[in-house]
Amino acid sequence: MIRYSQAGDPFIPARHQPALVLDYARSRDAHAAGVVRGTGLLPDAVPAAGALLAPRAYLQLLANVSAALAGPDTSFMLGQQMLPGHYGAVSHALLHAPNLRQALDTLVAWQSRLCPLLSPRWREEGGLAVLYWSDAFGAPGQLPFLVEMHMTAVVAMCRWLSGRRLPWRFCFNRCSPRQREQHEMHLGMALQFDCHLDAMLIDAAWLDHPWPRGNATAAAMAREEGGHAADAPALLVALYDYLLQQIRCGPTLEGTAAAFGASAATLKRHLARHGTHFQAELDQVRTHVALYLFQVRRYDNEQAAAYLGFHDATNFRRSFKRWTGQTPSLLRGGLNW
Amino acid sequence: MLRLHRPTLLACALLALLILALYASVGAAKPFHTWDWMDIVSEGGTTVLAACWLVMLLSSRPGGMVTRWLSCGLAAILLGNWADLMDEFFKMGKAFQWNHWLEALVGLGMLTLTVGLHYWRHEQAHLSEHLEKRERLFRDHRAFDRITQLADADYLRRQIRLERQRRPDANCAVALLDIDGFHLINRQFGQPEGDRALQAVGHMLLLNLRSDDLLCRYAGDRFALLMPGASEAEAAVLVRHLCDMVGRMRHHAGATLVPLTLRHACAPADSAPEIVLRQLNLAVA
Repeated sequence: MIRYSQAGDPFIPARHQPALVLDYARSRDAHAAGVVRGTGLLPDAVPAAGALLAPRAYLQLLANVSAALAGPDTSFMLGQQMLPGHYGAVSHALLHAPNLRQALDTLVAWQSRLCPLLSPRWREEGGLAVLYWSDAFGAPGQLPFLVEMHMTAVVAMCRWLSGRRLPWRFCFNRCSPRQREQHEMHLGMALQFDCHLDAMLIDAAWLDHPWPRGNATAAAMAREEGGHAADAPALLVALYDYLLQQIRCGPTLEGTAAAFGASAATLKRHLARHGTHFQAELDQVRTHVALYLFQVRRYDNEQAAAYLGFHDATNFRRSFKRWTGQTPSLLRGGLNW
Repeated sequence: MLRLHRPTLLACALLALLILALYASVGAAKPFHTWDWMDIVSEGGTTVLAACWLVMLLSSRPGGMVTRWLSCGLAAILLGNWADLMDEFFKMGKAFQWNHWLEALVGLGMLTLTVGLHYWRHEQAHLSEHLEKRERLFRDHRAFDRITQLADADYLRRQIRLERQRRPDANCAVALLDIDGFHLINRQFGQPEGDRALQAVGHMLLLNLRSDDLLCRYAGDRFALLMPGASEAEAAVLVRHLCDMVGRMRHHAGATLVPLTLRHACAPADSAPEIVLRQLNLAVA
């Protein structure tokens, strides 16, 4: 049975990331009472030691700060200070990471502590490393903000620890913002919008470049000290992983609910609480897999259709258009990995 | 800001109550059917609006002479109208004169307000002088950054477009200036020190500009400079001087000396702002 946590379960230490966000809001003279509204935190006070925040409250805090400051750079500035952070052993593991590969592995393994709201995944294939992000607790309206914040966090951390600006390229699952200067300044000049995926790409050669601050022993010890990530993964993360694994077998709501040890009605209700439903999640995984097949494996429609278990390319083409609003050929021409 | 002016507002409310009490004790209440609703609505409306203006004014201004003149004027208009309104509810005997004097407060208030506005013009001229290198030709308060009090990239783009429209044939140059290793200051000393460094560099740059130039905070630690009338060579000299001046600053974070240096890129503003700025960004990154 697959365990999972939900948006209302308190497990984020309030003294970790939420405290940094409060600090930033204070430094920018945001109205204290407005910032903590609906989060259960107290205005003008450091959160109590051991206090835990549910992801929903943390999301509310970010929404409040974003509204109170109304600046174009809030998400980026919050990202600048987010990683490696001061979150105990896992932050030390990042700080001492000997190279990018291990930093990414650490980030993914301890995501519930390092980046609880947005789930990172990364894979390496064909000389390219792809780090992509997906919503963990159902905050569709806040996704652009979260993506900017988390991408900036990884870029800034790598820049600091590697001692140079790494040549990342960026894909965004959104239309181009009216002004790009904040993206260009905090991320880089290689930006692409309308990609149906929030991803960061880099030449795989950078994965094993040694980092000057790296210390493999210290990192291994810190990882050991961090323990096995004991927290259950977020529902949407667990579901994504399950669907990805089952994607060639035509996963259904009933079968999935059984694997999660719940009834179909319960799973449906839990998903509804995260602002989504089973078909939307399935379509998202299929879109990501199709993009991966196109971009990395250079599959054509026939091959992708066969891989995903479609009868023929026409059916696949129609479905793909429903998922993304674009035909495969159009999207393939537009993306440039 | 309003808390600062609590005594003024209290005094105003007390005076209004006093006037009410005065009319109620001396005058005879008019019967309901003789009330002139037209007058009540117009005089009452003016009173309410004057009160709104007074609160808006006080909530947006610190104390001082100009604020005093303006608020006294508005308060007098408010009280004069209030007295006028009381006339609609209470009949005063012919023997009384002071109620007419009270109503004359409106005129006195307008006079006071006018004097206040005159001083306010002076104050505004001083402030504009102070803002000269931060804004040109038009004002947009939403475009200003909280930390450096400089305008943002959007304001810069609009200014470049405006400059090209106004004087298509004249020289005009744009430069981007980026602080070296700024992220290390944030990492080592924390974000508040990073903000202080930005402010210091902003001030240093402002002190060394011509009065026509416009300095903006482009994004993050990148500043943008619009130099109307400067050829590319002149702009390059000016920008090198700016980098030199910033390089000579002795900026401290706590007790630690933090060397600040800039790198720069400079180009004539001869095409659309997006294109010029993109090239400059690539050059300076």
